[in-house]
Amino acid sequence: MDIHKLLKTLTETPGPSGYEDQIAAVIEELWQPCVDTITRDRVGSLIATKRATKNGRTPPRRILLAAHMDEIALMVRDVEEHNGNGFLRVTSIGGVDTRQVFGQLVVVHGRKNLTGVVGCLPARLLPEEKQDKPFDFEDLLVDVGLPIETVNNQISIGDFISFRQPLLKLMNKRVAGKSLDNRASVAAVTVCLEQLRQRQHAWEVIAVATAQEETRLLGAYTTAFALQPDAAIAIDVTFGKGPGANEHVTHELGGGPALDLGPNVHTGMFNALKATAEELELNINIETHQRASGTDAHGLQIARAGIPTAIVAIPLRYMHTMVESVALKDIERAGRLLAEFIVGLDEEFLGKLAKGMMEEESKQ
Amino acid sequence: MNDLIKKLVEAYGPSGFEDQMRALIRPEIEKYADEISVDALGNLIAHKKGDGSGLKVMVAAHMDEIGVMITHITEEGFCRFTNIGGVYSHTLLGGRVQFADGRIGVIHSDRITDRSKIYGLDKHFIDVGANGRDDCPVQVGDAAGFHREFVVNGKMLSAKSMDDRIGCVVAIEAMKRLKQTPHDVYFVFSVQEEIGTRGAEAAANHLDPDVGIALDVTTTGDVPEAIPMAVSLGKGTAIKVKDAGMIAHHGLVQLMKKRASEASIPYQLEVLTGGSTDARSIQIANGGAAAGCISIPCRYVHSQSETVHADDVENSIKLLVELLAKPMEL
Repeated sequence: MDIHKLLKTLTETPGPSGYEDQIAAVIEELWQPCVDTITRDRVGSLIATKRATKNGRTPPRRILLAAHMDEIALMVRDVEEHNGNGFLRVTSIGGVDTRQVFGQLVVVHGRKNLTGVVGCLPARLLPEEKQDKPFDFEDLLVDVGLPIETVNNQISIGDFISFRQPLLKLMNKRVAGKSLDNRASVAAVTVCLEQLRQRQHAWEVIAVATAQEETRLLGAYTTAFALQPDAAIAIDVTFGKGPGANEHVTHELGGGPALDLGPNVHTGMFNALKATAEELELNINIETHQRASGTDAHGLQIARAGIPTAIVAIPLRYMHTMVESVALKDIERAGRLLAEFIVGLDEEFLGKLAKGMMEEESKQ
Repeated sequence: MNDLIKKLVEAYGPSGFEDQMRALIRPEIEKYADEISVDALGNLIAHKKGDGSGLKVMVAAHMDEIGVMITHITEEGFCRFTNIGGVYSHTLLGGRVQFADGRIGVIHSDRITDRSKIYGLDKHFIDVGANGRDDCPVQVGDAAGFHREFVVNGKMLSAKSMDDRIGCVVAIEAMKRLKQTPHDVYFVFSVQEEIGTRGAEAAANHLDPDVGIALDVTTTGDVPEAIPMAVSLGKGTAIKVKDAGMIAHHGLVQLMKKRASEASIPYQLEVLTGGSTDARSIQIANGGAAAGCISIPCRYVHSQSETVHADDVENSIKLLVELLAKPMEL
């Protein structure tokens, strides 16, 4: 599978939280050949089901893979007139890093898509206390280069604005671009589903591209409740190593996916994934979180009576900017790890989880 | 309608103490509901049956209000208190509170040494006229709402607790005017919104609606030095696109705009950067619902003189009725 090509399509398609129709359509097309059913739910998550292909329990156990498809973005807060031209005041959707919004290219999703730039007064024209500081949203504006009448006609308050950035090929099979958080993980799930086509598995697989993770983990809470899986894995990105980065919370790009440990993760699930990685002789890292993982796992875990949940994370530099960077190899590895893990799921798995036996196995 | 507004805004009902509100609202809606129930948290739920062709819709307006709770009575008979919901000290001095039994207390603060400073709630106290602790009729744990008369200035309506009694008025009026609906509509007069949209959360878990619509106030950007916002008083009902707690369902927002345009109802689009509503809880309950909000523009939210415009109230009622009377394709 050409992961670069896959990422190009995925990252260059807009999908702000709450406005995921376009990215959902692209993912639906990618997953369609690999799954049996595919639908969207009331909050916008895309839900694909691949039936079990090996005889086993009836009905089969079910594992849910959650990779969020939404991305951080902007929204029109007000339209302002200046010398006959229309300018947009904006607010953020999700955790937009305000140090890097100024100077970006954007697409305003109005009556039709309009390209714009994020502008601001040059530093020397700002009040002294604001010079050389990160921007307040109050000072930023989006300029679509159109007269006020056209702007009023084409754009309304509340219109979504996505960032526009082509995927860049870097050296050593790395890429940089926007929304690799979390399209890198959507790509990993795609790799997994593709590999499962050739394999036999006794558990049903529910692949979910969740909606509105960046704002409130919405799709994780709602799909886990509605689908009631027996186990779940959130696939998301984690901090990549780089100059100045804190050693113990970051992971080398190309060093393999990170398996997360912490309150959102069932240690048995972690151990089983780790054992699978060891069998595959696949490089992994181990990361930790202390309270909330900041991923869909936080919502998946507490649905209904609780769901054993794990996190597979892809190292990524420059999170929540337009130059997020990942190594293609880590995506392939994450996909392969998920596929192999699913193939290994059997009737005894849940019993072993409940008895804490995964720990024993991984120690041996 | 001003009589109904006056009755509701002047009534007592801080979060967790909504009994009197429930007793006031119930007789107003009894004639217009197919069934009425009260759940374990105290939500008042009125069901208006559909013809079976529509969706299950939960409409939520919260009956609770911000207020205070007594934490300590001094030997001299003054009451120290804490907040229930978003109560800020700069709105308190010279204010008055009412307790469940109708008793009124006045708020003052410890000696102010720096007049440029705002002191914390713990530096304030309530005086109910007691001569000492033993004489004080108020107890630790008693809750009070603010006490302020409803004022009509032309079309400008000011009172305490417009947030969200005006939403309750919109719901009640819509129930009266909604003759027929394809939808199974549950009007929920919710509790405990001000302390984290908790009543609506329980009601949504129980009702499991397809669509959730909150009726609540939103701030405006049309007063001096306001946080910039493209909503003004008197310019129409506000259709929420986003607030600090949620992004409204895109299809529902489009439908609200369409219904408003069709019926020539003036509307504004709301992007609110602080605060949220019951819709936030409904959206994430169970398997999720298409959630949105019809907002009533309101100046000075969480002060004792919250101010709305009569036309905006009327337009909010009209939009809700239009929305509920017709099919919803989301």
